[in-house]
Amino acid sequence: MMDELELLKQDWQKKEAHLPQLTYDEIYKMIWKKSSSIVKWIFYISIIEFALPHLLYLIPSVKSNLDIYSQLGLSNVILIVTILQYLVVFYFIYQFYVRYKEISVLDSAKQLTTNILKTRKTVKHYVFFSLSMVLLTFALLIVGVYLSDNVLEIFNLTGKIETVSEQKVKFTFMLGLAIFGVLFTVIFGGIYFLLYGLLTRKLRRNHKELQKLEI
Amino acid sequence: MNKELEHRFVTELENNQNIVHKVCTLYTNDRDSHNDLFQEITIQLWKAYPKFRGEAKFSTWMYRVALNTAITLYRKSKRRVQTQDYDSVIFKIKTDEYDDTEEKQLQLMYNAVKQLGDIDKALVFLYLEDKDYAEISETLGITEVNARVKMNRVKNKLRTILNP
Repeated sequence: MMDELELLKQDWQKKEAHLPQLTYDEIYKMIWKKSSSIVKWIFYISIIEFALPHLLYLIPSVKSNLDIYSQLGLSNVILIVTILQYLVVFYFIYQFYVRYKEISVLDSAKQLTTNILKTRKTVKHYVFFSLSMVLLTFALLIVGVYLSDNVLEIFNLTGKIETVSEQKVKFTFMLGLAIFGVLFTVIFGGIYFLLYGLLTRKLRRNHKELQKLEI
Repeated sequence: MNKELEHRFVTELENNQNIVHKVCTLYTNDRDSHNDLFQEITIQLWKAYPKFRGEAKFSTWMYRVALNTAITLYRKSKRRVQTQDYDSVIFKIKTDEYDDTEEKQLQLMYNAVKQLGDIDKALVFLYLEDKDYAEISETLGITEVNARVKMNRVKNKLRTILNP
């Protein structure tokens, strides 16, 4: 085998003459092209992921739902949760920025893959956090419905369903919210982790390969 | 100042472009991907160029950026079916230089190398480029001992591919 690889080496070095050659102008044009590296992709996708949960609030129906919070007597709880949420979000964005800045093509292959995966992990943790917040919001709504005495009024159902007892309506709402909350979380979580897996598959494979020997 | 930097960079890259072409040859299977990867490496080299202070040789510095781009940053999957037509252009073996069996053996070797994983390929590439283990270990970020161990494993892997 040694000899075969030696043979290959000799041949490899002779091959230089057959390689394509680009001109000065062709190379000059290339330096102004946009990079399409994985780091760029991770950056843009992460920004979208950071922004997405907040864009949801711009949808009118979501906004009107916010009124329901106050009617359910959850205003103060929601305010505190929101402040905490934003503190955590800013912490994540700061972490992401610091780690993103650490990525350098001049590092060794191992360091580079480690840094990129670390950056990506920040976003992963953020998504975990966001999904937990979604679940928490649904949980709060369920508690709100449970504690409220005028569910029919709040959801504009007064006079529409008189045949059913208020207790039953309450229970149906709570169950519906629970199912919807879990479904929403599972679907968004599923989409995210599928995307995450696809985007970092090659990175994780190579990182594992470099790590294998260092134990 | 910027114009001067541009000119210096493009000239150096033009003179050393073989390194990039060789990396592209190993990591891609068709002409479009080859050009794509070449462009991405060029962009990465140019972005990092202001940090190049000349303490190393430009070519040494290029190996690291080019391999990092191919292994880590390049996005296109190499899982495409290997197309033989382009390989044969790059890895063309002149019949007058070799006898038949040697030519065949080399072709088999090249095909075997192309089947290796990204990291193994980088090891073989640096080996073929006559780099010592100190430089190999530094480029990949593993210890020198581990670089040797890994190289031996790659040789075994190649042997298995060649003699299934």
